[in-house]
Amino acid sequence: MDQNNSIQAFQGLASPPGVMTPTMPVFSPMMPYGSGLTPQPVQNTNSLSILEEQQRQQRQQQQQQQTQQLNTGLPGASGQTPQLFHSQPVPGSTTTALPGNTPLYSAPVTPMTPIAPATPASESSGIVPQLQNIVSTVNLGCKLDLKTIALRARNAEYNPKRFAAVIMRIREPRTTALIFSSGKMVCTGAKSEEQSRLAARKYARVVQKLGFPAKFLDLKIQNMVGSCDVKFPIRLEGLVLTHQQFSSYEPELFPGLIYRMIKPRIVLLIFVSGKVVLTGAKVRAEIYEAFENIYPILKGFRKTT
Amino acid sequence: MSASSLPFPVIVPMLRVPILKPMFLPFPFSLWPRTLLPPLFLRPTVVKFPPTPCRLTASVAVVVNPGLDRSDISYSRTTAVTRKPCVNLIQGLERVKEISRILRVRREIEELALTYYKQAYEHETFLHVTLQRKEILGGCCVLASCRQQRWPITVGTISCLLNGDPAAVGEVYQEMIKVLNIQAPTFSVTDVMEAHCQEYKVSPGHVPEELAEDSKGLTKRAIALVELAADSWIVTGRQPLPIMMAAVYLAWQSLKPNAQRLKMSLEKFCKLAKVQKSKTAGTRITEMKGMLYKLGKEIPWYKEVLTPDNVVSLVGDVLQHRFSLLRRALKSHELSLLEKCPAGQVNPSSAETSSSSDVSEDAGQTPVKSSVNAEKEKQGRDGDESLKSPSEESNPQTQELTQNWGKRVLFAPPCVVNAKRKRAERPPLHVTGDEEISDSEIESYIRTPQEARDFAMMQEKLFTSNNESS
Repeated sequence: MDQNNSIQAFQGLASPPGVMTPTMPVFSPMMPYGSGLTPQPVQNTNSLSILEEQQRQQRQQQQQQQTQQLNTGLPGASGQTPQLFHSQPVPGSTTTALPGNTPLYSAPVTPMTPIAPATPASESSGIVPQLQNIVSTVNLGCKLDLKTIALRARNAEYNPKRFAAVIMRIREPRTTALIFSSGKMVCTGAKSEEQSRLAARKYARVVQKLGFPAKFLDLKIQNMVGSCDVKFPIRLEGLVLTHQQFSSYEPELFPGLIYRMIKPRIVLLIFVSGKVVLTGAKVRAEIYEAFENIYPILKGFRKTT
Repeated sequence: MSASSLPFPVIVPMLRVPILKPMFLPFPFSLWPRTLLPPLFLRPTVVKFPPTPCRLTASVAVVVNPGLDRSDISYSRTTAVTRKPCVNLIQGLERVKEISRILRVRREIEELALTYYKQAYEHETFLHVTLQRKEILGGCCVLASCRQQRWPITVGTISCLLNGDPAAVGEVYQEMIKVLNIQAPTFSVTDVMEAHCQEYKVSPGHVPEELAEDSKGLTKRAIALVELAADSWIVTGRQPLPIMMAAVYLAWQSLKPNAQRLKMSLEKFCKLAKVQKSKTAGTRITEMKGMLYKLGKEIPWYKEVLTPDNVVSLVGDVLQHRFSLLRRALKSHELSLLEKCPAGQVNPSSAETSSSSDVSEDAGQTPVKSSVNAEKEKQGRDGDESLKSPSEESNPQTQELTQNWGKRVLFAPPCVVNAKRKRAERPPLHVTGDEEISDSEIESYIRTPQEARDFAMMQEKLFTSNNESS
């Protein structure tokens, strides 16, 4: 395996998160969860359900446009292939609810467009990383009395001496939220973007039911963690020698090799068993791209050493 | 007006000359005592300094001619002295020197460590950290320079010297590498083996002759065992110390495999050699014996029944003929796999061929022909697909082999061979994120008023009981 090719792929400037090759309009760099690119809000109401209704209507319009253009059949391994068009982040924030806004994924996509980014299908690994955890933040838009929430909610714990936030949990989707008195909330544990969004909405609804004028502003995915198994052992000592500028392997401290990929900006934990953990992504496509980048290195490296 | 009528003393020379009685005093006003000067002449025009609350010294006073520019000079300029180096930096540099001398490193390593420490200390990442962290930084600088100069040393050694947590040392080390933008080669077990073997006091002067072993021979045998263990996936990702201890123990036993040595347990050996026993070394010994057993089985002239327990006596032969034994072991393994799964339903994975090619290429030998052929056949395929088929699923043995590729190969990382049972995964939840949220579900998360009252009462009781007890 020619190592130089793989090394060249990581040189150059780091691309902004979510940026893909120009031929892949599916993976737009826009962050529809409101990452600072959101236009001015149309309206802010106190009722969460009214806002949700508006968003649902807009999304229905977008999905109607998408279903006309997209092929629902997706290549890839069954059971592991993500429903990417459903999972693509759709405008979930009230601040993006502008009428006449161009839907993000309305660009025509042919049925034969491969989903794996930047890699021809013949060189695809055939392995799709599974998402294990999504961390998202949302602004409830009002100050909260944490003592009241801890008193009146069953699924909340609050110990101000230990941590200045209420820890709330729901069963479905199985997630945990940290709710701060400023009204900001962190939602962790979801396995997909949609689950994270649904969970955050449920937490906001609980807070609303407790009597606070909670809104649902600026939902943003902060981190995504994925994992997969290449099913062959990996010589970490060799990998750290050939990719010294990206790798860190200290068996005395941690059994895995820490690989800091520059493009996309993802951190991979590579273990001798062949299991790989990818973290630091803002969009799902970064995880896939990072894995497709590392797989030839792992595979080629295993044969040459 | 006579001299005596003036309100101040006047020195009048006693001269028999007519005394002038001037209307004004003969010498200038500025030289008059302040208490005697009329208020008009008390304006402070001589000394000028900026109105800052600072102590004045004699050097501060600057005479400013009132007629010229009255720009102020800053205090820092006026009191500028040679900047002294930071006391903590000096102490830190001394500490780096001490660590270097304890470890008896070369002069170049010490100087490099001092350079790194100075650079890192003055960086914003480390400038305002605690003294403890700065001390750890000193140790990390020594570690980095030792690694760059190929001086064998472990993070554990530095942690021990600093009396700190290895995790904290590792964290500071990674930060320091990033800040200084340097690259230090990673740790290699074989590099450290020689230094490690010298810690074991089993040379002829320290122990009885039947238990004594020459240091060089012991080191050589231990290094060979570590290399073989590394080829068999026992070393990668593991703590180095237990592996080194296991290698030294097996090397010591195998160099003179008499009954006395073979009976001696690891604990007794460590007491004999005056080293602290590592708990994990026992597991590594078992794994290494298992590896030696797989190779030792292929020795054609050994006619007795071989078990992992009595393989130590054959270590010498195994190490001497390891390449050919490995070839035979791979062949036997492939045949046994074919016997278990007839009609070639289970493909020996490319991992097996890779492990064989890894070992044999490391040894510089040509790969096994059968494995090369098998590898060529597989080059056209993606080697990682699921191998399930209906007949395989019906056979639990083949199913196990299919699901756990570690059981299909001769050597695999132990974490794969003894894979932990995965907890039952929840079925994936397919949602769009915009579903209706039922009120009943949300209500289930909210306490009833009675519950809330009971909870508040309970908290109050707990609070008062805690206060009483404290």
